Amino acid sequence: MTSTISRPLPWYFAPMIVLITGCVVAMINRGIGASFGLFTLPISEANAWPRETYSLAIALQNLLWGIATPFAGMLADRFGAARVVMLGAVFYCLGMIAMASTSVPVLFHLSAGVLVGVGIAFSSFGIIMAALGRIVPPDRRSWAFGLATAAASLGQFVFAPLVAALISGYGWHFTLLFLAGTTLLMIPFALPLMVSNASSSKAGAGETTLSMTEAITQAFGHRSYMLLVAGFFVCGFQLAFITVHLPPYLAEHGISKEFAGIAMGAIGLFNAVGSYLAGVIGGRGEKRVPLSLIYLLRSISVTAFILLPITPVTTIIFTATMGFLWLSTVPLTMGIVMVMFGTRYMATLYGFVFLSHQIGSFLGVWLGGRLYDVYGSYDPVWWMGVGLGVFAAIVNLPIVEKRAPKFAAA
Amino acid sequence: MSFPGHRFALSLFVGIVVLWLGVMLVVMRHSSLPPDATGTMLVVFDPGMDEDAAFASITSAGARPIRKTAFGFIWVVNGTAGELMSQGALGAYRELPLPAEIAGCVGVVDRALARALPL
Repeated sequence: MTSTISRPLPWYFAPMIVLITGCVVAMINRGIGASFGLFTLPISEANAWPRETYSLAIALQNLLWGIATPFAGMLADRFGAARVVMLGAVFYCLGMIAMASTSVPVLFHLSAGVLVGVGIAFSSFGIIMAALGRIVPPDRRSWAFGLATAAASLGQFVFAPLVAALISGYGWHFTLLFLAGTTLLMIPFALPLMVSNASSSKAGAGETTLSMTEAITQAFGHRSYMLLVAGFFVCGFQLAFITVHLPPYLAEHGISKEFAGIAMGAIGLFNAVGSYLAGVIGGRGEKRVPLSLIYLLRSISVTAFILLPITPVTTIIFTATMGFLWLSTVPLTMGIVMVMFGTRYMATLYGFVFLSHQIGSFLGVWLGGRLYDVYGSYDPVWWMGVGLGVFAAIVNLPIVEKRAPKFAAA
Repeated sequence: MSFPGHRFALSLFVGIVVLWLGVMLVVMRHSSLPPDATGTMLVVFDPGMDEDAAFASITSAGARPIRKTAFGFIWVVNGTAGELMSQGALGAYRELPLPAEIAGCVGVVDRALARALPL
């Protein structure tokens, strides 16, 4: 006769600890990632590079972040999120050390662009949320997604001034190495995610028995998934355009650089609140309606902003409103992916949705500059963003929030 | 298995912010320029200090105000860190503007933008 003795889980697998450490990983990942702009001037000056050299590396980084995310998701779904986050932390760290050590542009592009980009993708909050989705009971998942997204948003807000102070006091080289060391903190903080590290070679209870390739093929043939992918493209387009082109737009309208900085900071602060609330709202009912509403409200907000006179008051109202709506799409989008396909291939399938976001980001930034050069005004792209927002609001509404046929529990 | 709620979320974020303030305080104290540092710098006075008082302190320290920031107690000046500290400045730092992409998730290669936003 055999008997099974069930041992209590270690303390670091307690749900509260897993949530806290997951949030810390999300915060470190996004916080450091969002502070790279601070190194533009000191690194460019130290190496006597035109600013384009550094900017190209960061553009590559964001592109790689988008491209590598589905692959990171596949690995996370196959081998567990914890291992992928740990691997990502190593890439992130090595990339930053290499960034600090080279003065050759090509090597800088490979380190800051490729290695760090892959590191960011492997330890991104999408991977963390997929892991949390497996740990947290269904009725709390949306809340947990909101919490992780808010932590990532807060990371952006708290790291920037800290990194600025470190560069000011200790120089860019030390700061880069210090941050490289900080990325390694993600390794111990990812350890509690091992609690959900079940290999997807076996389907869990209530999860699909499809292979990963079959799951991806089925998802891309699923109408609601494609609508979600299309909507998230718009999210990337709008946010990237505003992030990059709002400050010069404000400068054109007589808003000081300092006030523009504060206005952009308001986005970061309200972003954390909006992301959390979106998670809470998503847990109370259908996610497609609030998601659609977010895109619609963005369009209304942009329309009001560009039609009204640009003043400090309208600027701060606009950035606070947009901040509130900024990453609030993430917990709802992630939640819909999980409702449609379950948790088994969640990181992979969210990864493809995120890739669409990054393509939208690239186009938002590029078209913003290109059309400005052609028309001498940002207005065409503002209106394009309004139109795309309405489009996203419409395409998200018909999404069917129920398990996709082949993904139904076996 | 019981799961936490809003109170947990609030405590987590308040905890993060408190920790951040503590770390910022330490970093800001240690990253201040040495007293003999000269040139263009960001000088920070007591947050309660009004703009006129900060301006008076800057000129008393023999420094040249270049511009004030969005906060009246933080100025960009050209002077000597030690002299500014003796006139009540809490710290003097190398000027480092925050990037526009503080809340973003994108990078940019755009010459027109670089021209519009000189660092």
